[in-house]
Amino acid sequence: MKITDLEKKIGTFRLQIDHLVIESGRIHGIIGPNGCGKTVLLKTLAGIYTPDRGTIDYEGISPREITMLSQRPYLMDTSVYKNLVYPLQVRHMRPEEEKVDALLEKAGLLAQKKQYARSLSSGERQKLSFLRAVIFHPKLVMIDETFSNLDPESEALFMEMIRKIQEEDPITWIIVSHQLEAVRQLCEVIHHMEKGSVVEL
Amino acid sequence: MLEWLKSVVSDPDILSAVRVTFTMAVCSTGIASVLGITFGLMLERFRFPGKKIVIRLNRTLMGSPPVVVGLIVYLLLMRRGPLGPLSLLFTIQGMVIAQTMIITPIICGMIYSYLRRSAPSIREFAVTMGATRWQTTRLIIRELRKEIYFCMVTGFGRSISEVGAVMLVGGNIRGRTRTMTTTISLLKSQGIFTEGVALGILLLLMAFVLQWICDMLQREEMEHENY
Repeated sequence: MKITDLEKKIGTFRLQIDHLVIESGRIHGIIGPNGCGKTVLLKTLAGIYTPDRGTIDYEGISPREITMLSQRPYLMDTSVYKNLVYPLQVRHMRPEEEKVDALLEKAGLLAQKKQYARSLSSGERQKLSFLRAVIFHPKLVMIDETFSNLDPESEALFMEMIRKIQEEDPITWIIVSHQLEAVRQLCEVIHHMEKGSVVEL
Repeated sequence: MLEWLKSVVSDPDILSAVRVTFTMAVCSTGIASVLGITFGLMLERFRFPGKKIVIRLNRTLMGSPPVVVGLIVYLLLMRRGPLGPLSLLFTIQGMVIAQTMIITPIICGMIYSYLRRSAPSIREFAVTMGATRWQTTRLIIRELRKEIYFCMVTGFGRSISEVGAVMLVGGNIRGRTRTMTTTISLLKSQGIFTEGVALGILLLLMAFVLQWICDMLQREEMEHENY
């Protein structure tokens, strides 16, 4: 994926990416201080914001194959299960119960399957939104600070799941995080951001 | 007390008033909900010149005096008025038109303010899930179902309790366009207080049931809070 001369203004903030290449099938990390535009970049790539200027060449990835996990994931006003299968429902795909259960089991959410999603703890919400993002086999997954609310075990679980996906059928990941350690362990390419731009160190 | 209520309830005139009130309220709430929700969604979704004025106008209409609306509808529907040939004056249909004009802005305004608060995050979420526009709209409606229901109950409550507009447009014709509220008003002017009070109690009872339903919905929401 190639990003050229991208510009997006939100209020007084200005995102300006002259050139950024996201190699497909690899795990990219983005680190930078608060307010440097990491979220704006992700939201622009996810199609939530339309850029004011510049081009994003997705190289064959369609908008429906892109997903993003926000910092505070939105959970629908319904059960854990219905939240999880929503992306399948949107694509008119029938969820395979066994696979769904296996996913929930792995994340330790099987007991809460029929529970009201908004009654989950913040860590569980993150887990659910992660599962929901990968359940439909997207080609590009962007994660905005999702690891921040997790205990070490859940973090390890996430990393394991990401690695497993990469072994089977590699997809592109862009992971934004404050936790340098986590990003370093997992990511193959790391970009630094400062004041709305990507900087080389 | 019970005997007295029974005798009131079995009075054909009063039964007819209850029937007229309900028919009118159900029809006008139904039409106003469809219109109000559609307008509310469009108002939140689209940007257009003069939007701020439309919003202000909507807020003004939310508090418009029903008698004024009644008068306008009367002028439109009267024999010499622009809609005179339709012969809708002094009919339930005419009353439904007036009521719809009163309730639609209320539902639209309420829906709009709920949407302003929650639609942007739902829309962002829908984009990340790959939902189409139509699926996004459906999701927004589904996510706000409780609020929508609440608006409809408010509209219905407004409709059954309104006097001025239905009096003007309906004409308070016995057995045809006489509602519970206009009956009370008439009974009072005739000095028949007992039946007036009984009807009043009946109306209050209906309002109580409505309020109770709303309360149950709210409570359900509270139980779902994070803990």
